[in-house]
Amino acid sequence: MMTIKLQIVIALAILVVFLILVNMIRRRSLELKYALSWFLVLCALFAFDCVPRLLIVVSEFLGIYAPVNMIFFLGFCFSLVIIFSLTVALSRMSNSVRTLDQMVALNEKRLQELEAELKKHQKEE
Amino acid sequence: MSDRKLVIIPAYNESKSIIKAVEDIKEHAPGFDYVVINDCSTDDTLKVCQERGLNYVHLPVNLGIGGAVQTGYLYGCQYGYDLAVQFDGDGQHDAAYLEMMAKTLKETDSDMVIGSRFIEREGFQSSGIRRVGIKYFSALLWVLTGKKVTDPTSGMRMVNRDVMRIYADNYPKDYPEPESVMAILRMRKKVTEVPVVMKKREEGISSIGGVKSVYYMIKVTLAILMERLRR
Repeated sequence: MMTIKLQIVIALAILVVFLILVNMIRRRSLELKYALSWFLVLCALFAFDCVPRLLIVVSEFLGIYAPVNMIFFLGFCFSLVIIFSLTVALSRMSNSVRTLDQMVALNEKRLQELEAELKKHQKEE
Repeated sequence: MSDRKLVIIPAYNESKSIIKAVEDIKEHAPGFDYVVINDCSTDDTLKVCQERGLNYVHLPVNLGIGGAVQTGYLYGCQYGYDLAVQFDGDGQHDAAYLEMMAKTLKETDSDMVIGSRFIEREGFQSSGIRRVGIKYFSALLWVLTGKKVTDPTSGMRMVNRDVMRIYADNYPKDYPEPESVMAILRMRKKVTEVPVVMKKREEGISSIGGVKSVYYMIKVTLAILMERLRR
């Protein structure tokens, strides 16, 4: 059902994506924490690529007729999980930004007051 | 020693009306200090604050009304104020009511005093469709808490130090008024309303209108229900 040629092409694609991910982490443009789930996907894809029979075994186990449906289904579920975890991270982030913003503003205010006080003192002396 | 009283004026692009609001407070509520919270305005509100020597706090990133007002409560806590009142800078509110509200807060031993447009039904009563919305929130609060609040969306609200601290820790981000009233009703705080007259806004446009109002109704309803679930 899958030619050797296709298997090699897919394996190469996986390898390329893997290298891109590693390079991004190396340059610190991607957090390792968020890259882990993508590594997991690559591993799963690679497993299915090496042993295509695995697809049929798993889909039979899950009671899904066509293996391609299983791929769509699992891919969809996985995307949902990632998007959900992103909204959670975003909520946390926006709370942090809010707190930081407020603290910066209040500290700036305090700083101005202290500067004004200092100037007053220096004049008095 | 008399109480230290703070007026919080959240301002977003209100360079034209902000001076008027501050002068109104200085003239009609001399017992109050004020602080303008400039929510990273894109007009010259910051410049006006600097040039006229207003007491202001400048947020370097825009937070929206909730975050701006919360900054005011943080300021109030940090500088040891006994009570704080929210006051819109767009000319809707009248500073002449502030002393009366402070007196009510003390005499009725309330935690919050809301200036309500709908007790004496005088002045600008908001548009019909909006009044329906306000009635709806009022009913929702009544069903969930058994307390009557005639104007839960009023932006003119005074709180004591207790509630100031609660709001400094936690305050809704957008459309905060009804939700934040629910939050303190849930904590069995005492909320009293006094009749006030509000004017039509002079500058700026309401943050609510059009398609947004549908979002507003749903969001605030959910927020109030969620607040009810917190213990």
